[in-house]
Amino acid sequence: MNELQKNRPLSPHLQVYKWQLSSLLSITHRLTSIINTAGITLICFWIISLYLGENCYKYFSMLTSSFIGKFILIGFTWSFSYHLLNGVRHLVWDMGYGYEIRTANLSGILVLVSSFLLTIGLWILA
Amino acid sequence: MSNNVVKKWMLQRITAVILLPLLIWFLSIFVGLVQKDYQVVIAFFKNDINFVLSVILLTLVFLHMKIGMGEIFEDYIQNSKYKSVANFIISVFATVLPLATVVSLILIKFN
Repeated sequence: MNELQKNRPLSPHLQVYKWQLSSLLSITHRLTSIINTAGITLICFWIISLYLGENCYKYFSMLTSSFIGKFILIGFTWSFSYHLLNGVRHLVWDMGYGYEIRTANLSGILVLVSSFLLTIGLWILA
Repeated sequence: MSNNVVKKWMLQRITAVILLPLLIWFLSIFVGLVQKDYQVVIAFFKNDINFVLSVILLTLVFLHMKIGMGEIFEDYIQNSKYKSVANFIISVFATVLPLATVVSLILIKFN
């Protein structure tokens, strides 16, 4: 591999693209994937703490029942909701539909609005 | 090589489709469950169906996460050595954490 090949630019250069709805939602999909990784990690610790016993679990309960804990949990719920719904959008694209700019923008707005509705719905049901 | 990439692409979609209902189920319960007492949560995971679905969910989530993170590294890490290291770390993480969690679930269920 020569120097030129080594320094080939990589694909998504966030700084050089003009910001628009499609790119904003796309990068949000990736950001939420990283947040979801943190979220599922916490869920794993929660389950492990459950095994470790009631005393260990109590520390988790203290966290989750606090105001900040609730705030974080709602944030994670939104992140999962968004990634889930935008994932459906990706699956539809994979099947070859929804590429027209108007449709893609519309489905994007739909996903964004639905992600908040799903978050609110999940917490109201709880 | 290309075959492997195709497999990963397919696997990412298949895990996504299965995870979709599983996560909606889990999230709808988790949000309430996390605020409940120890005994209630233990009883939840002791239930056969909840136990099996949780194990499937954990396995698939970490598989999906590993492939997805690999894609992100592919796009943003230029140096192939660093990329391998990053992929290795994610692989270890995506194996150890779900394994420890599934073992915990098994011990909770059969305790």
